[in-house]
Amino acid sequence: MTGTIHKSQIQKVFNQNEAYLSLIIVAYSILVTSLNPSFLSFENLLDLGKSSASMGIMAIGVFVVLLSGGIDMSFTAIAISGQYIAANVLIASGVDNIYFAFLISCLVGLSLGAVNGLIISYFKIPTFIATLGTLNVFHGILLTVVGTKAVNSAQLPDCFKKFGATNVFTVVKPEGGSYGLSIFTVIFIAVALLTWFILTYTQLGRGIYAIGGDMEAAKRSGMNVFNIQFFIYCYVGILAGIAGVLHVSLIRYSNPTYLVGSELSVIAPVVLGGTRITGGSGTVIGTILGVAMITLLNNSLILIGLSSFWQEFFTGVIVAISVSLSSYQIRKSMMI
Amino acid sequence: MAEDFLKIQNVSKLYSGVQALDNVSMSIGQGEVHCLVGENGSGKSTLIKIIAGVVTPDGGEIIVRGKSYKNLRPIDSINEGIQVIYQDLSLFPNLSVAENISLNQLIEEKKKIINWKEVKNIASSVLSTIKKELDLNEKVENISIANKQLVAICRALLRNAKLIIMDEPTTAITKKEIDKLLSVILDLKESGISTLFVSHKLSEVLQIAEKVTVLRDGKKVGDYNAGELDYDTLSFYMSGKKIDHSVFDYQERADQKTLLEVKDLSKKGQFEDISFKLRPGEIVGMIGSLGSGRTEVALSLFGLNKPDSGSIYMNGEPVKINSPRKAISLGLCYLPEDRLNQGLFLKQSIQNNVVVTNLRKILTKSKLLNYSKKYEYAKMWVDELNINVPSLEIAVQALSGGNQQRVVIAKWLATDPKVFILDSPTVGIDVNSKSNIHNLIRQLAKKGIGVIMISDEVPEIVHNCNRILVMADGRIIQEVDTVDITEDKLFDLVSSNSKNSEG
Amino acid sequence: MFDQYLKHSRTTILFIMMLGAFIVMSIFLPGKFLTLSNFQSIASQIPEFGLLAIAIMLAMLTGGIDLSIISTANLAGVGAALILTKHALPQLGAYEESYIIFLAIVSAIGISLLCGLINGLLIAYVKVPAILATLGTMSIFSGIAIVITKGYGIQGFPEKFLFIGSGTILAIPMPMIIFIVFIPLMSLILNRTSYGFNLYMLGSNPVASRFSGINNRGILVRTYILSGLCSGLASIIMISRVNSIRPGYGSAYLLQAILVCVLGGVDPSGGYGNISGLVMGIIVLQILQSGFNILSFSPFFKNVVWGLMLILVMILNFYSSRYAQKIRKRLKVD
Repeated sequence: MTGTIHKSQIQKVFNQNEAYLSLIIVAYSILVTSLNPSFLSFENLLDLGKSSASMGIMAIGVFVVLLSGGIDMSFTAIAISGQYIAANVLIASGVDNIYFAFLISCLVGLSLGAVNGLIISYFKIPTFIATLGTLNVFHGILLTVVGTKAVNSAQLPDCFKKFGATNVFTVVKPEGGSYGLSIFTVIFIAVALLTWFILTYTQLGRGIYAIGGDMEAAKRSGMNVFNIQFFIYCYVGILAGIAGVLHVSLIRYSNPTYLVGSELSVIAPVVLGGTRITGGSGTVIGTILGVAMITLLNNSLILIGLSSFWQEFFTGVIVAISVSLSSYQIRKSMMI
Repeated sequence: MAEDFLKIQNVSKLYSGVQALDNVSMSIGQGEVHCLVGENGSGKSTLIKIIAGVVTPDGGEIIVRGKSYKNLRPIDSINEGIQVIYQDLSLFPNLSVAENISLNQLIEEKKKIINWKEVKNIASSVLSTIKKELDLNEKVENISIANKQLVAICRALLRNAKLIIMDEPTTAITKKEIDKLLSVILDLKESGISTLFVSHKLSEVLQIAEKVTVLRDGKKVGDYNAGELDYDTLSFYMSGKKIDHSVFDYQERADQKTLLEVKDLSKKGQFEDISFKLRPGEIVGMIGSLGSGRTEVALSLFGLNKPDSGSIYMNGEPVKINSPRKAISLGLCYLPEDRLNQGLFLKQSIQNNVVVTNLRKILTKSKLLNYSKKYEYAKMWVDELNINVPSLEIAVQALSGGNQQRVVIAKWLATDPKVFILDSPTVGIDVNSKSNIHNLIRQLAKKGIGVIMISDEVPEIVHNCNRILVMADGRIIQEVDTVDITEDKLFDLVSSNSKNSEG
Repeated sequence: MFDQYLKHSRTTILFIMMLGAFIVMSIFLPGKFLTLSNFQSIASQIPEFGLLAIAIMLAMLTGGIDLSIISTANLAGVGAALILTKHALPQLGAYEESYIIFLAIVSAIGISLLCGLINGLLIAYVKVPAILATLGTMSIFSGIAIVITKGYGIQGFPEKFLFIGSGTILAIPMPMIIFIVFIPLMSLILNRTSYGFNLYMLGSNPVASRFSGINNRGILVRTYILSGLCSGLASIIMISRVNSIRPGYGSAYLLQAILVCVLGGVDPSGGYGNISGLVMGIIVLQILQSGFNILSFSPFFKNVVWGLMLILVMILNFYSSRYAQKIRKRLKVD
């Protein structure tokens, strides 16, 4: 619905790919629930919404980059840098405030994203190679300059833990204990809505679609391609910064070697959600569905009797299948 | 004629020692449909760039609606209502028609937030001024080239265009669509908007324009009323030379067997029941507009477009051609329409471009490339075809269009073909090199190669072929011997049939 | 002619860089850099890493990339390690032991060829963009390796097998000998066979190569198989040198291999690059690497340097191509 204004009401919400994906998600949920009835409980769903939020936010960032025809490999390094620096600054300064943590993490994200943006938009380096380079530079600098020691649960400022336990509403279970809608999920939804708004209703967002569609035409029509690309990588940086704080608040532990290396598990949902790898086409809803599908799969492997060792394998299979399907569709539409 | 909208006076431009434009003057009246013609390198693109303000002339002045500019900037040009529609149209394939039309307007207004209702309203109101309808929600990648042109025209109109310059607008659209484009241009004319067509093709120039300005080697040859020109005079003005009108004469020999026979070849949505024969030494012309199925048939013969049904015979034997390699091994080869993308490896050396189709000839006994053989072999073909190059090592992109096309021909002759299919062999090649290429093709036929020449230029077909297949709507609608038809008749046949193909 | 001049100047620059790195290291690390043992260690590391770089280069020549090289090497290594540890028991005779080692090598190579074949089929027949196809298979291959080993390492290989990675002949490490045999072979394939010629042509314009009768799909599949083979060979040397294998081994090599390719003049958009440039790039990198080791730089800091180098080389390429364009414009008559 962000790509074009569609004809019918139904198509307004889902395009074909998204409809299929929704069907698969429903069918798969039913399958897993039939094996383990507790899976589809309200509690478990809310829990999945919480645990997938940080991956989802990064996926939204990656989606924006893919839309513009690029790819970003460095966002995990940005996320972990933001998180780890924020945690250490809070400890060192003694300020125990989650907003301060977000501020620092996002500032780190913004500056590292700006570095990507500058390299890519000014020197026209292929985005994969540029961000592979910065991935290693960012992460290497973090480990060399800031440190390699993990911040454990005891050292971690309380604000993270409190934030991690914050629910928008809480349900008390009759048998004791409680669960609720985490603030994480709300942040994820807010990020998705904001991104959707930017992409659909702002000149800048249309510019992102435009440079993904035809870079040359975008330049000729007087768009400031440099600014658009610069914005994209800064935006991804900020989103990575947010995701970093959510991640540490969830696991109550900040290890500077975490996240880096898991790029594919974030790229996978975006590709699965129907974003065209060559740019210019894709939707926020598709990305959210992709995140849902991957989360579902990752959390159900054990339920369907497979060890977590299979996770990487399945992520790969999903990427391979979804890119094969979309490549096949593109090929079908060409004459030769 | 109304007062002049644009006047160019004594404009010159020197590019690194080459006089791209030499003291050129021309004027375009308000509401006038004007054509600027010239061969590649005649200076017409430099002139457009000067009018668009992208290039600053070394001397002379540009007067728009009475206001003189010594130094016209792009922004002045746009503000004066001059809009250039380049050949590639610069549209966004992934965005909707409505958005493509209104995007520039929105950028210009520096709107940060987009109101989709407004976007559609803008688009539909512009479309209604040229009395055309398009599905505003359709993505541009899904509409025809002619409709894309409409989108580009609408976009130009939105910016208060007073003069629309269209660079080679008719090369990729069909006759029917050209007519549609013309009707739009006439509407624009009524509202006082001038149009400048830029073209190197001759036939279409004459039917569109009121006035024609001819450039050659950076100098203006003259301004003419379209009515006073015919094909021969115009091409004489463009090239400075009388073109050779000798007709290809094919001597049929009694013992000649059929070389290639195509029977009832069909592919859904592309072509139907294509049947014809080709004898050695013949040049058979295949004429039809884009979308008539001509290129699709050729690709099928070359193994790049699998037909649904029908059969192909070489020397009477039924053959199945499922890949270019198979086609080559049967002695079939194909010179593609898009020379730069399909025919050549632009960044590779001339040598590599020539030998690529026939590595067998330059291998040692142990199947390794022999570099000196490679050089000798490439040199042989370059000499054979009189390709004028300083070295075989330079990249093919440094050559002129005519020489590039010879390299493509050389690479195919190296495979020792029996049937040579040439798809639009002289597109984008100037008049002089054109007749050289034509002579070359005739020589090949004399040597006994069966040639199929695909083109949409009537004179090219009439002068070089002994038999003509007229295609429209995926069918061969007529097969004639060249001696039985005149240029005018063939022209009527081609254009009337593509007109009838409405729907 | 101008393009050729650029090519030559590139080789010259690389050669100067190589010499420069050598001289700087020799001066600033006296008594540590110019030692036999240091050279032996350089020589035993160049091959596994060089083979991986060749694997990427092959894919880059087609205009693609192969991100699955490390996972391919891991999976092939796990396959070989399983055979070596499950069957090569101490009580085996010399003959049986050799047989097991042979079997392990063959299966490592077989696995790597298969991995390459899968990549090739996805890219050539399903037409998946190489970067995504190999990103997917990267996870699949290493996923399989993880599932098989449950994330643990496998170690303890027969003595004879270790000779491949750590033995020396006339003070030359075995891996280097393998590499020295392999390089001219690879160079021969790329420069003197029809396959190599067609590979370069396809890389510079895949549409024109199809229209010239080159079997694009065949070339692509063969290239990715060859790329897999290089990873497999690297894997054998690697597991033999460290006497163990664990999924994730050598993951730092991916960045370095890509770096060496662009440093050595391979054009990521396809069609350009040669073995000699690549080998010089490898040597430059390895000299620096050994210097960093002597200075005991942390692996993270090394990554910073490699990452910066990668970006710097690309920036230099940007300027040199802009310069080249300018000159070409000036030479070309409008």
